[in-house]
Amino acid sequence: MEINLYLSIMPEALIASMLSPQEFGKYFAVGTKKRTRGQAMFFKLKRDFKSDYLKLDDIEKRCVPDEDGTPKRSKYISIYRVLEHVPMQSIENLYLVTDDGRVLELKREEYTDNTNDALHLYQQLGPVRPLIASSLNPPDFCKTLTDTTQPVSVPKLVFVELILNGLANDPENAPLDNIPYQNIDHMRGCLINLQKKPSKPNKTVVRSTQNDILYRTCKNGFFIGDNETMFYYPMPTREKLEGEYYAWWKSALTQGFNY
Amino acid sequence: MINGIFWTVPIASIIALAFAGLFFKQMMKNSEGTDRMVTIAEHIRKGAMAYLKQQYKVVGIFFLIMTLLFSIMAYGFNLQNPWVPFAFLTGGFFSGLAGFFGMKTATYASARTANAAITSLNGALKIAFRSGAVMGLVVVGLGLLDISIWFVALNYFYPIEIGDGHNLVIITTTMLTFGMGASAQALFARVGGGIFTKAADVGGDLVGKVEAGIPEDDPRNPATIADNVGDNVGDVAGMGADLYESYCGSILATSALGAAAFMGNSDMQLKAVIAPMLIAAVGIILSILGIYLVKTREGATQKELLESLSHGINISSILVIIFSLGILYLVDIENMMGVWGAIIVGLATGTVIGKATEYYTSATYKPTQKIAKSTEFGAATVIISGLGTGMISTTIPVIAVVLGIILSFLFASGFDFNNMGLGLYGIGIAAVGMLSTLGITLATDAYGPIADNAGGNAEMSGLGEEVRKRTDALDSLGNTTAATGKGFAIGSAALTALALLASYIEELKIGLLRIGETVLEFSNGTNVNIATATLTDFMNYYEVNLMNPKVLVGMLVGSMMSFLFCGLTMNAVGRAASKMVEEVRRQFREIPGILEGESVPDYARCVEISTKGAQREMLLPASLAILVPIIVGLIMGVPAVIGLMVGALVSGFVLAVFMANSGGSWDNAKKYIEEGHLGGKGSRAHKAAIIGDTVGDPFKDTSGPSLNILIKLMSMVAIVMSGLTVAFSLL
Repeated sequence: MEINLYLSIMPEALIASMLSPQEFGKYFAVGTKKRTRGQAMFFKLKRDFKSDYLKLDDIEKRCVPDEDGTPKRSKYISIYRVLEHVPMQSIENLYLVTDDGRVLELKREEYTDNTNDALHLYQQLGPVRPLIASSLNPPDFCKTLTDTTQPVSVPKLVFVELILNGLANDPENAPLDNIPYQNIDHMRGCLINLQKKPSKPNKTVVRSTQNDILYRTCKNGFFIGDNETMFYYPMPTREKLEGEYYAWWKSALTQGFNY
Repeated sequence: MINGIFWTVPIASIIALAFAGLFFKQMMKNSEGTDRMVTIAEHIRKGAMAYLKQQYKVVGIFFLIMTLLFSIMAYGFNLQNPWVPFAFLTGGFFSGLAGFFGMKTATYASARTANAAITSLNGALKIAFRSGAVMGLVVVGLGLLDISIWFVALNYFYPIEIGDGHNLVIITTTMLTFGMGASAQALFARVGGGIFTKAADVGGDLVGKVEAGIPEDDPRNPATIADNVGDNVGDVAGMGADLYESYCGSILATSALGAAAFMGNSDMQLKAVIAPMLIAAVGIILSILGIYLVKTREGATQKELLESLSHGINISSILVIIFSLGILYLVDIENMMGVWGAIIVGLATGTVIGKATEYYTSATYKPTQKIAKSTEFGAATVIISGLGTGMISTTIPVIAVVLGIILSFLFASGFDFNNMGLGLYGIGIAAVGMLSTLGITLATDAYGPIADNAGGNAEMSGLGEEVRKRTDALDSLGNTTAATGKGFAIGSAALTALALLASYIEELKIGLLRIGETVLEFSNGTNVNIATATLTDFMNYYEVNLMNPKVLVGMLVGSMMSFLFCGLTMNAVGRAASKMVEEVRRQFREIPGILEGESVPDYARCVEISTKGAQREMLLPASLAILVPIIVGLIMGVPAVIGLMVGALVSGFVLAVFMANSGGSWDNAKKYIEEGHLGGKGSRAHKAAIIGDTVGDPFKDTSGPSLNILIKLMSMVAIVMSGLTVAFSLL
């Protein structure tokens, strides 16, 4: 049975599995017998890279079918500082999993910004999870945050740009409708500050976000990058989500009490 | 000799049933769609019928016991009209039959509506609405048929041309007792249906949406089918039985009041008795006309869809106003313009209550938007503002009913507050006017669950985006009509209960005569012949005034009953829902692959749990509603019973409006946020709104609507048991 390698972003981990990405996503979110659920997000990786840190040599020995022949669903290879040790060239498609196990596959594309928005809101997903208001566009934001010569930086970054609607260009007056973020008034303040003081490009809105990502708030897509390279995984259009990927989309919109 | 024009009543009832049959046949000619759609529809149909079968078993036992009791009272102790056991049975039978036909049609129509939505919004609207019209027409058709049969049969045994008008009083008061059968059936349908639907909905959502995180109408949720079944048993069978009772109750109470008001003028007496039946008959024909006027264009907006339904109802109402004047002219009733004025008042009162309900529950208006705004501060403020808005929302309906009572009384009595007989007749006529277009207004109510189920079927069958958009549009329209329908049901129940309250005195008269009393002996030594005693004589004789502690005690008990009943039904939902939670959890735990969509859940088990829960839980509140008026009557007599009826009416009416509107506004506040306001889905505001909506579920779908029946059933029990009360009361 083929062994796949997955880079989980939430939580950060490297996992070997005999399941396909769709099967793995479903399993990862809802398990098999236990009544658990949880949003997940992972990249499929090529298995062509080597790493002293990640100890990939004995995966075949560790990831074996169960005694009854069923494929091994997950074998954790590493759970700490995984992201920084995975080379960008090994990263393939991104899979977004809803908390009840619906999986959406996103493919990589060239990033183009058609919006000309002055301000942006970035939810960092790994390795740390602050919510950042920024005047930088995604490539510049990625480059800045992964500049390891700077004291506040990470070697590699996964993030998503979130919708700001009218606030992106008029933070003082635009309505807050349909924006479900924490500390919304503080966020408006951050955006106003960014507009007034262009010298400071980033402001922290929330130090560390604990909640799941509301997929509907994704403005354009997901990003992963280091200081050299950035990959962009665009979300399908709303029309496509409501038509082609309806089951995933409806699941992504479902809301319970205890979030 | 029955007036020739009377025969239009049974003819109208047969026309109603014929059109119901025609609409049913037309609906059945449409395809149910793909195999998957047929399977889902079959699951729901089977579940709904399994529920009805179980309910009819319980109700059957209850009816058997009550019929035996009435027979003993009637034939053993001469405390009861000998026709009561039969009238009770037919009332219950026809009410149950109306619910059965309505639900059968609804469960056949949902998949067909979804399938029609594949190609056309108008086609889907027509199927859903005309299937809803089957319910509306069956209710009015069976109601008038039952009334006609009894009127003709009793006329055979008590010929109206002899007896100096007394026979017509006997006929109308006897017919009134079949309302208790209808009320009892309605109570079981409404309370049982309400508990069923919310147990499935809340229980399914708590595990499905909250724990497992799966969306509504997802086939992986074992409670999904039970939830869809619940829409039918609660809002179709329950609402149908409820309004069947209001419809018949208002006509019969008005006829009884007419017979009493014109005692001694047998010609006018007969006219007053058949006038409400004729107005109802005209209403049937005009409702059918209105049903044919409901259509829309492809891609219609919500506003246009609502306008298309309103168009049918408005045209029917306007025509009822015009034609009822013609009917009254033909009948040549005394104070024709005054009685006509009472009809207009009734229709206007119904419209005002409907509009007020829409204002307080629709997210288009400020009250619901304010509740939505309060979600930003958490769940507690949502609950507080929903409760506050619900309480404030009682103002307009209460003022509408107050004005309706005063104006209809004044119009019919010729602006003479002392002319009690005609004034009360006017109030009854106002209730008849309000319910005259029931054929079409009930169609809009029953349409709601059909559209809702069609959406569920489209969802579970994985139909395309365009289809879902169409069924969503129809479903959203159904939510609006359901809220206004509930307001209408409450308003009509209040007026009907008031007419029943006045009719109670007529029943007392018959009860006293049956036990051999002939005169009312007053403490000042004066005597009044019972046969000719006025309503005021009876009120004086029984000392029905606010200084009489029996009246006050009765009022307090009546008020308490409304709250007790609400509390019991709400807790019943909580208990039944918890059983559903356990079952859904069990299935997720024990049936591997449900969440992955690889195995089919045991839907039938969830339907069974909801059914059993509903049957078990409805027994206590239902028994209390029947026993309390009997016990109060046996201990404290007539004044306390009248106090009880008044207490239950005033508190029940206001409480019902409050609960229905609070629940409706919480529901729509959540939908308002889901449309993208205040942070939209997933925001803190949304989470708070979900809690408000869940609290509001039993408010608007179980306890609130059940109060309509409580106030009518307690009045009916008091009426039927009046013989027992006058013969055996202790105090």
